[in-house]
Amino acid sequence: MTGRVITITSGKGGVGKTTATANIGVALARRGQRVTCLDADIGLRNLDVVMGLENRIVYDLVDVVEGRARLRQALIKDKRLPELTLMPAAQTRDKLAVKEAQMIKLVEDLRKECDFVLIDSPAGIEHGFRNAIAPADEVLIVTTPEVSAVRDADRIIGLVEAAEKPAPRLIINRLRPSMVKRGEMLDTKDVLEVLAVELIGIVPEDEAIITSTNKGQPVAFEDRSPAGAAFTRIAQRILGEDVPFMVFDDTSGLFDKMSKFLKR
Amino acid sequence: MTPISFKGTREGLHITLAPAPWREIMEELARQLNRPGAQSFFRGARVLLETGNRMLGVTELEELIALLAQHQMTLTSVLGETQTQDAFVQLRSAMPPPPENLQAEIESAPEHATEDLSALLIHRTVRSGQLIRHAGTIIVIGDVNPGAEVVAENDVVVWGKLRGVVHAGASGDTRAMVGALFLAPTQLRIGNFIARAPDEKRTQVWTAEIARVRDEQIVVEPWNAV
Ligand SMILES: Nc1ncnc2c1ncn2[C@@H]1O[C@H](COP(=O)(O)OP(=O)(O)OP(=O)(O)O)[C@@H](O)[C@H]1O
Ligand SMILES: [Mg+2]
Repeated sequence: MTGRVITITSGKGGVGKTTATANIGVALARRGQRVTCLDADIGLRNLDVVMGLENRIVYDLVDVVEGRARLRQALIKDKRLPELTLMPAAQTRDKLAVKEAQMIKLVEDLRKECDFVLIDSPAGIEHGFRNAIAPADEVLIVTTPEVSAVRDADRIIGLVEAAEKPAPRLIINRLRPSMVKRGEMLDTKDVLEVLAVELIGIVPEDEAIITSTNKGQPVAFEDRSPAGAAFTRIAQRILGEDVPFMVFDDTSGLFDKMSKFLKR
Repeated sequence: MTPISFKGTREGLHITLAPAPWREIMEELARQLNRPGAQSFFRGARVLLETGNRMLGVTELEELIALLAQHQMTLTSVLGETQTQDAFVQLRSAMPPPPENLQAEIESAPEHATEDLSALLIHRTVRSGQLIRHAGTIIVIGDVNPGAEVVAENDVVVWGKLRGVVHAGASGDTRAMVGALFLAPTQLRIGNFIARAPDEKRTQVWTAEIARVRDEQIVVEPWNAV
């Protein structure tokens, strides 16, 4: 058994990589998949906080790589979903502590035990990004609908292509339908026109994300919130299901509608 | 994965570097170039180097250029990160001239053959942060995105949307032109002339256009009028 390794990355920081990793992980695990979320943001870990598992960390990724702990000892089981585990990053170590080859080896070991390894990449194009990309079978790029974030996403897509990975897929996060409507925000079509990659999901701006992050309970545990439902649809698409894209409408909340133009 | 891969194209030899340690790359390259029969095959070749997301400094590039020179090969183009490009530009002035025999060959060849030899074909989207610099004409089949830069000593033709920075006639040739199916560059240079995009966004219409220098300024006209 070898699981699929999916790295979630962006160029610009703070666009929602960690949020996406935690929620896609939860959504996949809720569908019975065995998922390991790996925090590759060494020195700035926070996937554990978003997943609500911070207080269970004893060993971390660097301990495993440097032989102080076995894989099983460092892996943290989720308190709600038995299929979900977390490999935490080290908080106190320098981000150069892990080499590319060590990361590849670690992920090779992890993937034997599960269906998916989701890697939460640090922002930027430096060492940490390269480490997160090296073991990936697939790459998801997160961007917000802002010109600067899209520009950085484009740069990252170029680097992913140069690393000879398959064409990455795109998550547009924090879309605000009311602003798009007023012409104050890039819409999905504008973003795709520049990036020319396949869209795997649109996640609306959602206050529930903030409360859920504070509680350590990712929104994807329930499908009630718009963002939670959006992450669930992304998980379904990862599993190969053909799920229609939502058109977000501000006044009436959400309504389902096939939007053909999104499918390139 | 091998640290380097070779591909022969009409423009010359296309060498792609994998993300392997620099030592391994140089050793492999030396090994490949010293293979029996390789001498006559590679001799005199122009080399297009694709560095992927690796950043090469002046020292590394110098080492590579020196190794190529030992085999009478010349580095003419680099595709990769801006930093690598800068190193290349820095070195370019100090680079050994093309091997004698090749020089003679080019000079004696008919005009069109020379141009043919120097066109670089890029068949993909050129993305933000990528810079393509080439001593001849550059043809892109795909888009040139905002944040990307294309610099050619002759013409630039983009079969797609051109929205990055473009510089044709980069060593001063004002007869060079820039053509694109959709011409909306952030900045367009021909020789020493510069034109930039209007600050207000213009409504995007899909028309093929061509930019060239006329009466000391850059003018843009529909492609079909040429
Ligand atoms: N759809 C959304 N709606 C509202 N807030 C969101 C949404 N997505 C993310 N956020 C908020 O944006 C902030 C940044 O998110 P997150 O930490 O996931 O980004 P990141 O890309 O991992 O950042 P970094 O580059 O620092 O690792 C967080 O406070 C998060 O709660
Ligand atoms: Mg993060």
